[in-house]
Amino acid sequence: MDQTQPTAPRPTLPDREAPGEVLYREAFRIVGNDFEHGGEAAAAIKAVLKQLGLPPEAIRRLSIANFEAEMNVIMYAAEAQMELAVMHDSVRVTVTDRGPGIPDIEWAMQEGNSTATPEMRARGFGAGLGLPNIRRSADEFSIASTVGVGTTLTYVVYANGATAT
Amino acid sequence: MINRPHAVVTDPAKCVGCVACSQACPTRAIRVRSDLAVIDDELCIDCGMCIEVCGYDAIRPRTSSPADLRKFKHTVAVPSLTLYAQFGDDVHPGRVLRGLRQLGFDETYDISWMCEMVASATDAYLSQSKGPWPKISVTCPAVLRLIQIRYPDLIPNLVPIETPRELAAKLRRRRLAAERGLDPSEIGMFFITPCTAIIHSIEAPEGLEASYLDGAFAITETYGQLLKAIKHDPGSDSEEAISARGLRWAMAGGEISSMRNANTITVRGLRDVLYVFDRIESGTFQGLDFIEAYICPGGCVGGQLTVAGRYLAQRNIRQLAKRLGDRGLVKEEKVRSLLHDHFFDMQSEISARRVRPLARDLRQAIALKREKDALLERLPRKDCAACGAPNCETLADDVVRGEAKLEDCVFIRLEQLQAHETPHRGGEDG
Repeated sequence: MDQTQPTAPRPTLPDREAPGEVLYREAFRIVGNDFEHGGEAAAAIKAVLKQLGLPPEAIRRLSIANFEAEMNVIMYAAEAQMELAVMHDSVRVTVTDRGPGIPDIEWAMQEGNSTATPEMRARGFGAGLGLPNIRRSADEFSIASTVGVGTTLTYVVYANGATAT
Repeated sequence: MINRPHAVVTDPAKCVGCVACSQACPTRAIRVRSDLAVIDDELCIDCGMCIEVCGYDAIRPRTSSPADLRKFKHTVAVPSLTLYAQFGDDVHPGRVLRGLRQLGFDETYDISWMCEMVASATDAYLSQSKGPWPKISVTCPAVLRLIQIRYPDLIPNLVPIETPRELAAKLRRRRLAAERGLDPSEIGMFFITPCTAIIHSIEAPEGLEASYLDGAFAITETYGQLLKAIKHDPGSDSEEAISARGLRWAMAGGEISSMRNANTITVRGLRDVLYVFDRIESGTFQGLDFIEAYICPGGCVGGQLTVAGRYLAQRNIRQLAKRLGDRGLVKEEKVRSLLHDHFFDMQSEISARRVRPLARDLRQAIALKREKDALLERLPRKDCAACGAPNCETLADDVVRGEAKLEDCVFIRLEQLQAHETPHRGGEDG
């Protein structure tokens, strides 16, 4: 199957890196209200992960989370950085936005709760599934927010076949 | 994985090494090497875009030959519904079917009613399915292959119902064998195809152990003779068994128009297919039940191996359906009993076709990815394809995989030549 690949030497070195060591890092910028380019950061990350040969299941779950997170920024924040960090057996994405922040995180994490405007709902968003969907797609999830400053989301998907839930 | 022959073949005598096909290929499977388009078997989905854009007639479909008919005791032509749409108003399906027999087939078999049956079976499947949503039609074999290669996450969304052409061939072969006391292998069933994707689906089927069809002739190569045969013979087969609802399957939109479920969309053409599938993959479109999608913009009437062109063919199909009173022939009890017998079911699972990562080992892949990004910085980003790869990114990819050289880029070579010409820097290139 891999006959066309360069036959790279594959030394069976012991894992030198610590489990959390970041082997590959790339940052993507997302601009608030830029619906025209909505989904592009998520698509770019997916393309990178495919080239790196991550398991399709991990890519799938991460892509769902990335798309939701990206659309959240576009709908609510001024701008954000979406940072991809590939580790030995997991992938972490950190989305740091400059935006209004979330006053009640517990409320926002419940399915069905949303502050989307009618215009956003008309576009098919605002069902209140975004944040819960990110948490469900990921193996680890954390959120921190300061009203008037912004929100930081961090989520991790394991690449070794482990699944969430 | 066994590499089976693909349905698109390049002709070295005609290929001039232009890059039209390479740039049109949706899976970037084509490279131009020494003035010849070379197709990567692992990536090719037989969509036929290369045939469509080739200005030199250098990429041809691999079809059956008349000699293949002689291998069988009894031969059956199974025409794509698109064949009916290639003629004017006075040539009805009944005349087309009759004409085909004069081309050397022992009999002809219409599949319009089977299309209607499958629409009904799809409705039944959708009402019982638990997702994932939306479900996606497997009618277009190029779409199916594209999903296997580029969207493996969408495989669970595929409707596991066999295509009308295969089901029709299965049924007719079974009945013929019984009626005529023939061994099923003595019956040769040949599809008259509008596209290369179907040819490949017969050669290397998905969801089936072996195709019920034995080969295919292109509409383009049958048309001339068929037209002559029809002109000579004013007779017509009975059209009682032709389903107007089924006929619409020749056009994009036809499949959903013959279904009861209306929470559906049609996606036409490669560009839109990529657009929609990208979004399904990231979780949108989940509110829909069913998507019919075609690589060709108009559906099957827009196939590369057709004569009338998709606009006229669409009009012809609509006229035909109207003339037949837009009637449906299929009884729901019949569909229910066939569903119960698992008549429509695919025989095997559809699996992903793994696309090559840069390397198996993560660290190695990351190193190559960095190397690729660095190369891409040096490349002109003109995507001129003069190097033989469809764009700069693909060249960078090929270089780090050891399948091409950076100097294949004419701009890089020019830079190097200029560097050599400057005496005090002679022999040194960046």
